[in-house]
Amino acid sequence: MTLKRILGTFGFLALTVFILLPLVQVIVLSFLSTLHHDTAPKGSLTLLNYANIFRTDRLVASFLNSTIYVSLNVALTLIVALPAAYAFARFPFRSARATFFALLAFRVTPPVVLSLPAFLLFAQIELLNTPVGVALAHCVFNVPIAIWILESFIRGVPKELDETAFLDGYSTPGFIIKHLIPVIAPGIGAAAFFCFMFSWVEVVFARTLTITDGKPITTAISSLFGFQTDIGLVMAMTTLSLVPGLVMIWFVRNHLSRGFTVRV
Amino acid sequence: MTSDARAWLYIAPAAVLLLLVGGIPLAINAYHSFFDIFSLENKFWVGGEWYVSILTSERFYDSLMRSLLFSTVVICVQFPLGLLIALSLPRGGWVRSLGLILLAVPLVVPWNMIPAIWLSLINPETGAIGQLITAFDIPFDYKFNPVHTWILLVVMDTWHWVGLVAILACSGLAGIAPAYYQAAAIDRASRWQVFRFIELPKLTGALTMALLLRFMDSFMIYTEAFGINAGGPSGATTFLSLDLGEEIKAFNYGPAAARSVIYFAITLLIVHAFWRLLSARREDAV
Repeated sequence: MTLKRILGTFGFLALTVFILLPLVQVIVLSFLSTLHHDTAPKGSLTLLNYANIFRTDRLVASFLNSTIYVSLNVALTLIVALPAAYAFARFPFRSARATFFALLAFRVTPPVVLSLPAFLLFAQIELLNTPVGVALAHCVFNVPIAIWILESFIRGVPKELDETAFLDGYSTPGFIIKHLIPVIAPGIGAAAFFCFMFSWVEVVFARTLTITDGKPITTAISSLFGFQTDIGLVMAMTTLSLVPGLVMIWFVRNHLSRGFTVRV
Repeated sequence: MTSDARAWLYIAPAAVLLLLVGGIPLAINAYHSFFDIFSLENKFWVGGEWYVSILTSERFYDSLMRSLLFSTVVICVQFPLGLLIALSLPRGGWVRSLGLILLAVPLVVPWNMIPAIWLSLINPETGAIGQLITAFDIPFDYKFNPVHTWILLVVMDTWHWVGLVAILACSGLAGIAPAYYQAAAIDRASRWQVFRFIELPKLTGALTMALLLRFMDSFMIYTEAFGINAGGPSGATTFLSLDLGEEIKAFNYGPAAARSVIYFAITLLIVHAFWRLLSARREDAV
């Protein structure tokens, strides 16, 4: 037993170091002056990198752009995924499994494959260079996952809940909003986390669909690489780009740990 | 209203949205793959020429093998490791919360920053690991030694994604009712038996989701692999998506479209095989 505990503690420590080491390096570099600046010689400890971010409009704007399209995407995904998940969980219908797999097929469509035609399509309907366009494009991989997660949660809710509500005179949409959503709140939290995550970190769509305006944080970071890259500035941007994700993780940590059974 | 019609009514918003932003682009791609495209107004029908030239090129099969190998290695490393982490995390308390938070952090790092972070980490002058490597005189050359590039890619990908496998497995484990464990304890089941006959069957769904996500994202890895060594050394890490990226950058739209269609077909075929296999299991179990 003691040996097991020692092994467990050692394993936990090893995991912590493995995960944190790269991030610690990022944070340390973000507080160092890595190019020669007048106020901060190379290698000195400084807040200059962060000051430079807030002084550069396009870097600040990129945070705003990313936040807008990710929020839009999460909202839109949940709105269309919830009724679909309810249908898969509650209505036995013909070709349900085939339909479910067809939806999943969109999740496995590589963004590199879709980026070019999506660009042509979005140019036609004037959705280039706007957060709305990126939010819509990201639905391709987020809607299927959200349906899958929500369906698992709804299936875990006893059918009696639906039936009692219908006896009380609720319509199906009314029941979903008033009764089902509070019960599957952990599932909505988990689905929102996965949608947020895949949308926040995605590069190919976000870059292709924003040529002149509305550039996301990932493009802003890439644009910092050049002949003489200010690594400190890059790392400061990376550190800040983690903050929304960390906030999100903090909010859903209990939802993730409470557990759910995913159905195949 | 029949049950079928009602189901479709509820699925319609999601289906319409996916057809609009996913279906139409796929259709445009399929159409363009039969043309030589100079500009959208100026294109010439070439039939299946692009398909023939891609499917008969040796390079395509080399890239396909590399991508398949990468996905296999990544899954073989990340699934046992992720499961081990999920099984060792305590079932409650602050260690569990902290562990889950830790595991989730790499997931929210923007993909194009991941190679930058790892390159800076192994930089012999400024990187923590790079300095260690230099201090101990370990020969490590990710730029010119293909094996080292592969090691770096797999370690980096594991850092990035093992949390997804572990979190999904953890959620699945937490969903198992304590009664199952009590029953197993009464039957004096060994740890292995508990895992094999109670935990693993209950985890099938969560692991299928993890498997599909991990397979697809590793099979089409682009941003991270390109950032490390741009497909080198001498093409040793040129995966399928890097070939496609190259064609898009060179404005070869026709061949790029044909290539996209082929990639989509391969991915779908493999995912469908997984799906059939795992669904078949479910029907036996229930």
